[in-house]
Amino acid sequence: MPSAYDFPGGVYLPERKQRSSQATLIEAPLPSRVTLPLQQHSGQPATPCVAPGDRVKVGSVIANREGMISSNLHTSISGTVTEVTTAQITIESDGQDEWFRLPSLDWRSAGRHELLERLNESGIVGLGGAGFPSHIKARVDERHAIDTLVINAAECEPYITADDLALRHYPGEILEGAQIIAKLCGARHIVIGIEDNKPEAIGALQQALADSQPVPVELTVIPTRYPSGGERQLIKKLLDLNVPSGGLPADVGVLCHNPGTLLAILHAVLDGQPLVSRIVTLTGEAIAQPGNRWVRLGTSVKELLEEAGVNHSALNQVIQGGPMMGTPLLTLDTPVTKLTNCLIAATLDELPPPPAESPCIRCGECESVCPVALLPQQLHWYARAQDDTKLERYHLFDCIECGACSYVCPSHIPLVVDYREAKSRLRLQRIEATKAEHAKHRFEFRQARLAREEAEKQARKQARQAQQRRPSNTATSSSEKVDLRGLRIAHAAAKASVKKAEKTLARVAQEDPKQSLDDLEMQLATAQENLKAAEWQLAQAREQQSPDSASKESP
Amino acid sequence: MSDTFSWWGILSTVGVLTGLGIIFGALLGVVSERFKREDNPLVEQIDALLPQTQCGQCGYPGCRPYAEAINQGDALNKCPPGGEATIHALADLLGREPEPLDGDAQSETKVAFIREAECIGCTKCIQACPVDAIIGAAKLMHTVIEDECTGCDLCLDPCPVDCIDMLPRSAPLTQWQPIITPSPELIVSDRQPAPGGLHAERL
Repeated sequence: MPSAYDFPGGVYLPERKQRSSQATLIEAPLPSRVTLPLQQHSGQPATPCVAPGDRVKVGSVIANREGMISSNLHTSISGTVTEVTTAQITIESDGQDEWFRLPSLDWRSAGRHELLERLNESGIVGLGGAGFPSHIKARVDERHAIDTLVINAAECEPYITADDLALRHYPGEILEGAQIIAKLCGARHIVIGIEDNKPEAIGALQQALADSQPVPVELTVIPTRYPSGGERQLIKKLLDLNVPSGGLPADVGVLCHNPGTLLAILHAVLDGQPLVSRIVTLTGEAIAQPGNRWVRLGTSVKELLEEAGVNHSALNQVIQGGPMMGTPLLTLDTPVTKLTNCLIAATLDELPPPPAESPCIRCGECESVCPVALLPQQLHWYARAQDDTKLERYHLFDCIECGACSYVCPSHIPLVVDYREAKSRLRLQRIEATKAEHAKHRFEFRQARLAREEAEKQARKQARQAQQRRPSNTATSSSEKVDLRGLRIAHAAAKASVKKAEKTLARVAQEDPKQSLDDLEMQLATAQENLKAAEWQLAQAREQQSPDSASKESP
Repeated sequence: MSDTFSWWGILSTVGVLTGLGIIFGALLGVVSERFKREDNPLVEQIDALLPQTQCGQCGYPGCRPYAEAINQGDALNKCPPGGEATIHALADLLGREPEPLDGDAQSETKVAFIREAECIGCTKCIQACPVDAIIGAAKLMHTVIEDECTGCDLCLDPCPVDCIDMLPRSAPLTQWQPIITPSPELIVSDRQPAPGGLHAERL
């Protein structure tokens, strides 16, 4: 079905989805032990709230969210906590699989606050890959008006079929989850974007859509082309809206959610079941029984692959995520996290290592496939030359790291690797710059405080001297002429800077309540210290002036 | 020709030009008074490039005073925490020649750590810290707020019992940087021409 709108670039990849999409969705066996990393989401890691030896049930909270952007963590099996470190919590199973569930919530009658609190408690994060906490995302309407909720079911990367299977098995539940989010963010339309290589899922959705929906839902089938599942690309394709550079979809009134997340949201609200398991695609030539499994979080990748019949002699590498954007695992002793959507156990023939890199021949192929319409060639050179200003000017941070440029490069240059390195370097520089700014403000505050203390001391000394001198009534030495006018100007300037700092603080606090205001508060405090110092100096000068004038008038 | 020459024309031209001169002069005068700023904007720019460790290794009490000194013509190469990168940035800004760093470059960022068992609570380090990153009171143990410490070393000298160590700062995993070995061949034409080849002749 040709679409009127389109995003630039893109590539047609061998799909290789058949291997995993044909088996039905089954539950993976209960693991005997789970390892749960404290950071399975973007933002701050969670803080453990259990100690070794504690008995836990499935779904009890083991780590609380820390800071603004963070998420709770729950156990995925019942048993005993054996180890708590700064990075992860290990739990041994007792084999009982006892559950701890929150009470069911009727989302149609429940209040907004109740629903948000439920999402928060349940530790729901975006299961598409970024892992952004859903309760924060649901509060987007506090700052932006949302018109459309997009369900991103494109799943454009080869191999992965987790969303496909979720849509086939739970179309009604996913649509209901979408209604919850639409209610929370005030969206008036829901659009499902799905690639045309998932006919069963499309059929299941069409059947589910026959039921009446409170918010109208539109199903849009788009042609299969990588990376149509990118948030910006999908929004362009479905709605012909351009998300501004450095902005969010919310800036154009759109919110994007993954079907898996919506399913988890429904389970959290309706069944009171926190995020303790997810659908993972197990695929690759080295696996005997490929397919999708409901996997408890924290299950070891090794156990999971062995259960699926991995052939260790044929196995070359295991990739977590898709072949384009995923990362090869260095060790199989890693757990499945909230962000593991796919595990590819690839043989050497299936995903051979890239040939040796050759120099760029300036063919320009990368530019024609870039879905963000960047200039990958230029970025490549600037990244290697570490030319940071040029990188920013050529919008490095708009790169979605889809890997289309590396895929088509005839010289086999790992372009995305360069971009990732450059991005992390620039990010570090920004962190350093904010740190330096912070240190500067603290230094200025200290200087102001010392000046104020000095002024106070001087004033007190002056007062003491004046008291001693008064009985003898000798004229004060007018040799040090007091610059009263200059001090008054300094005082007025200090007052103005306090007002200015207050205004800036108020404005920023209103504009972006999430932002940390520490530095601005520090600046305000500095201005206040300066004002105090000026006040002391002025008062002292006036004191000095008055005996002066008195002595001058008397003769 | 005599028709076109008139004293009136010349006088009016002179008058208009003089008038314009006076008007614009007055305007500039008013504006320069109205929008006068005490601080030098160039100093602000220099200060923004300095690393703000406030360590005083340049011989000035803090980064801001050094920025002012640079503006007065002091050398650019007195900032070891900033290293070569800062020198080059300053040289670019001021249009001066970059000079080699005066002193040893710091390889990694450090953070002060007080061995609390040995601290006698003299508060001398608290007074020395330029960013108020040490907390404690007289005769009570002191400690360093790691996030606020700039690693400037200024607390080491005043300590009478030498209980302060400078430790390498632990970077969070999210700030991990890959080690890059830049490839010398970026473009095909970067390849070294064979000696005596076509390109060698042209060069």
